[in-house]
Amino acid sequence: MLLSDCSQTFPTKTMNQSSEPVTAPGAAAAAIALVEKEILIPEGLLGFPDDQRFKFTRFDPGDGGETPFFLLISMDSEISFALVHPDSLCAGYRVPVIPELLARLEAASEAELLPLLIVTVRDRVEDTTVNLQGPLMINPVSRRAVQLVVEDYPLRYPLLKSLAGEL
Amino acid sequence: MLILSRKLGESVTIGNDILVKVVAVSGNQVRLGIEAPREIRVLREEIFNAMQEENRAAAAAPDTNRRLGDALKRLLPNVPDKNDEPK
Repeated sequence: MLLSDCSQTFPTKTMNQSSEPVTAPGAAAAAIALVEKEILIPEGLLGFPDDQRFKFTRFDPGDGGETPFFLLISMDSEISFALVHPDSLCAGYRVPVIPELLARLEAASEAELLPLLIVTVRDRVEDTTVNLQGPLMINPVSRRAVQLVVEDYPLRYPLLKSLAGEL
Repeated sequence: MLILSRKLGESVTIGNDILVKVVAVSGNQVRLGIEAPREIRVLREEIFNAMQEENRAAAAAPDTNRRLGDALKRLLPNVPDKNDEPK
């Protein structure tokens, strides 16, 4: 399946074009290493400041198959979020990372960070979208995360088209 | 809401580390300059609100599993159809 280029679909004005995409080769392994572990989001998510402790699991579609989706399940309330890695949607998703973010996540470099995107499942499943504008930046080693706001990317990216490679 | 009047070039301070300055005024548009520690997120309010709303729409009750499963079955028709399992 040919994935569209994130940066061509969404040309960015503010990002340093010479910076490497955040998704390092070990990204898939980093996500899998987090399964069944607890993640701390010290500031919570926008709109959910009190939800800070989450359990990270794989999404189980119920038929024994594998999907690219994960779940973040709050231990502070009843909510949960479905997550997907940007590599499953488009190539070269880039997030500006500042030193203060690295410090907050206790990471030494951008390459250590794992970006995961929140999926908004809607009543009409065909309308399901992915939030490229508010990535969860996770340090799999410290198991801390922050939700960034990256205005260059869309808030609602259609999941259907991206999986079919039409965008 | 605290209301203060500022002229072009004047500023307000917020806490010890934040400064907001009126940099330019043109018609009904005001250009603001903001100095704040880099870890403090400064956003246009509509962006902040839209992100909150999107997170809220995405935050699901226990039926997220089922709904995402349904979505996947529609999007990936080769996935074998089985009875839904409770979460």
